[in-house]
Amino acid sequence: MNLRYFFSLLLLAPLLALAQGKPSDPQIAHIVVTANQIDIDAGKIAKSKSKNKEVQAFAQQMITDHSAVNKQAGALAKKLGVKPEDNDTSKALKKGAQQNVANLKKLSGAQFDKAYVAHEVDYHQQVLDAIDKVLIPSADNAELKGLIEKVRPAIQAHLDHAKHVQADLGKTGAKK
Amino acid sequence: MKFVPERLEVAAGDRVTWINKDFVPHSVTSKEAGVESGDLKENARWTWTARTKGEMNYICRLHPLMKGSIVVK
Repeated sequence: MNLRYFFSLLLLAPLLALAQGKPSDPQIAHIVVTANQIDIDAGKIAKSKSKNKEVQAFAQQMITDHSAVNKQAGALAKKLGVKPEDNDTSKALKKGAQQNVANLKKLSGAQFDKAYVAHEVDYHQQVLDAIDKVLIPSADNAELKGLIEKVRPAIQAHLDHAKHVQADLGKTGAKK
Repeated sequence: MKFVPERLEVAAGDRVTWINKDFVPHSVTSKEAGVESGDLKENARWTWTARTKGEMNYICRLHPLMKGSIVVK
């Protein structure tokens, strides 16, 4: 089993857990904030460890965009009087993130860049699947559902961007 | 996440305004044409006057896969 496949499986596990029961709106709010924070944290690690300009720019975009999403989510939760509620999916997401961070901290240079970007591709794909299959169908409040629908194009753009960076890293590797 | 419309035809002297309808910041950037809007926050507007005839290709500096073009006739 290669490493990337292994980490894909780790990611898949928490998101599959979502499908087992319909999360409540407070749980969805918590999942949204947790999923964003995880990617902000990974972006901060990449900003400090990567020497690659394209990876650095991507990481900064993740920090900026996911911070903007969380600001919106926090404002909406406050407006609706929804208190984000911790749940098994959020816990599993955090556990997966800790494993990713532990892996990234061991790597450096091109190996780090490839592992970070490969994880970003997988992560955004899994988040998109969760948005489509679980979060949007489960959200009861129309404004919460609307926020997730508004976030979706950004996640798709991040996935496309991550794949683009991944392809560029592959080209760099081939030249060596 | 894209410029709408992605391609726009205008006449020389026309003013073009971009409005960021997204909640994440975007920019209108063309290094080639020396165009840079700076970071535009949600609902921020930025206006540019089309002076030189020809095609200006631009991107969002923050999301480089977002591309647009203005054809000045």
